[in-house]
Amino acid sequence: MAAESTTATDEERPGPTDDAIDVGRGLDALDTPTEQRTPLWKRFLTGVVPPIVAVVLFVVVWQILWASAIWPEFKLPSPEAVFGTIGQDFAEGRAFDIIWTSISRAVLGFLLAVVVATPLGLLVATVPLVRSAIGPILTGLQSLPSVAWVPAAVLWFGLTDATIYFVVLMGAVPSIANGLVSGIDQVPPLLPRVGFAMGASRSQSARLIMLPAALPGFLGGLKQGWAFSWRSLMAAEIIATSPSLGFGLGAYLNEGQSLSDMPSVMAAILLILIVGIGVELLFFRPAELRVLRARGLATGP
Amino acid sequence: MTATLERHAPEPRTGPPALDVRGVSKVFGTGQDAVVALDGVDLSVAPGEFVCLLGASGCGKSTLLNLVAGLDRPTSGTVETTSARPAVMFQEAALLPWLDAGRNVELPLRLAGIGRAQRRERAQELLALVRLEGQADKRPHELSGGMRQRVALARALAAATGLGGEGKSREEAGVLLMDEPFGALDAITRDVLQAELLRVWEATGTTVLFVTHDVRESVRLAERVVLLSSRPGRVVREWATSTDTDAEELHGDITGELREVISAHGR
Ligand SMILES: Nc1ncnc2c1ncn2[C@@H]1O[C@H](COP(=O)(O)OP(=O)(O)O)[C@@H](O)[C@H]1O
Ligand SMILES: [Mg+2]
Repeated sequence: MAAESTTATDEERPGPTDDAIDVGRGLDALDTPTEQRTPLWKRFLTGVVPPIVAVVLFVVVWQILWASAIWPEFKLPSPEAVFGTIGQDFAEGRAFDIIWTSISRAVLGFLLAVVVATPLGLLVATVPLVRSAIGPILTGLQSLPSVAWVPAAVLWFGLTDATIYFVVLMGAVPSIANGLVSGIDQVPPLLPRVGFAMGASRSQSARLIMLPAALPGFLGGLKQGWAFSWRSLMAAEIIATSPSLGFGLGAYLNEGQSLSDMPSVMAAILLILIVGIGVELLFFRPAELRVLRARGLATGP
Repeated sequence: MTATLERHAPEPRTGPPALDVRGVSKVFGTGQDAVVALDGVDLSVAPGEFVCLLGASGCGKSTLLNLVAGLDRPTSGTVETTSARPAVMFQEAALLPWLDAGRNVELPLRLAGIGRAQRRERAQELLALVRLEGQADKRPHELSGGMRQRVALARALAAATGLGGEGKSREEAGVLLMDEPFGALDAITRDVLQAELLRVWEATGTTVLFVTHDVRESVRLAERVVLLSSRPGRVVREWATSTDTDAEELHGDITGELREVISAHGR
């Protein structure tokens, strides 16, 4: 009780009565937004179960179609044959080499793209002249399928890794740069104003206010940039095949086609799909969710 | 029955004004489209004084506040402030959504290069001052509108007073510029926050220039109400309030004059 008695001076201070303080406390309690966390089992039930059911259904339909023998075996192999091919490739260790070849290229290409696209995006977003000059080009490039660059790249760089990375860069850089630009554009103008009023220098404002505020848009651009990196890489690997380029998933797919080996073709498609989605689910989705949740922007589970 | 104001008698104010606006004009645009937002405005606010700037919507209140805040430059005239940088508060709390309440309050101190431990302590102190003790680790989206505006007030106080401390003179207690800070809140919350602001003002001795279009709010808060006319904005009249002022009568007076100023535009 001794500690409490020091608050007696409060009564001498001018200010609201106890009554008003209670009203204030009550308002705080009533108006505070409550966040509803869905329990884990419910999130599992609504988030994980439906896609699994869909995949199982897909395989069942596939199996039925195969069993009904509408198409010849070399056009529609059985699920068993396809999964068998994948299993065998893993058992032999070949699958790891193929996947590693592609993933390491995609990741390196993606990182290169980030290094190129970030300053580019910053320039476009902050310098009006640069924006009007290359902003539209950047947006246009985003809708150009990067496979269109493969012939040019082969002529310029020959069948080397440079060709592959060039195509990946052309695919990913516009998405990442545009993501950063739209992230910066969406920062409420009041934030930098408040920062300036509090005495922020230009560099402090960029570092402590603009960049963190633009992070959700930038992350969206990174996620899309990854998807484009992966797609562009596959396009490049399928078209530009050569022993000097190593043997990735695209080359594996291409080999399947030239051998008329349908189970290998479908196995390659499945692996390409799984790697692409897997990286997004393992890295980009959690990062995005974390950032959005910290700002109270996350929707859904 | 007369409703007198709830405030305590102010100490006599001495020394140079905390902010001094001399013959300030502001014109937006040029030629035919030019809008004269302010025309020859004089306004001087004493250290520790609470002044309300009252006027119809679009009369140039925000423009004047931005000039005083240094966010914009006057077309002519001078703005002088004794404190290095007045702090500003807007209708929206404008908190950084990725920082918790404590770090938002710390931000101006961080920008001023003050070390981690010191600014932490100061942020705790200021949050307690606005009755948000123990809420330092809440993010803005976890707080109600009124609580967010109190965090913004604590942050503005951090910007205006730095590390604060005992025994500081009125000049060092900082200048707070507020642009309709409670305009977006519901009536009950606004009422509570007005009382809180008065309490904080009396506890800190900060100079306050408060913009509003609400006559009742200005009468309740200010020691001096300054009425601005519209297009161009000029100071029309001032009213001083004191502890024995009849609030209802003053409210009637000011409302009458404000209606007069507004209807002059309809003729
Ligand atoms: N940046 C600007 N460009 C052009 N006109 C402006 C600008 N800012 C304000 N004005 C004009 O100046 C006048 C005063 O605006 P403002 O200070 O925002 O009024 P208040 O805050 O009193 O409602 C208005 O007529 C408004 O249209
Ligand atoms: Mg305004």
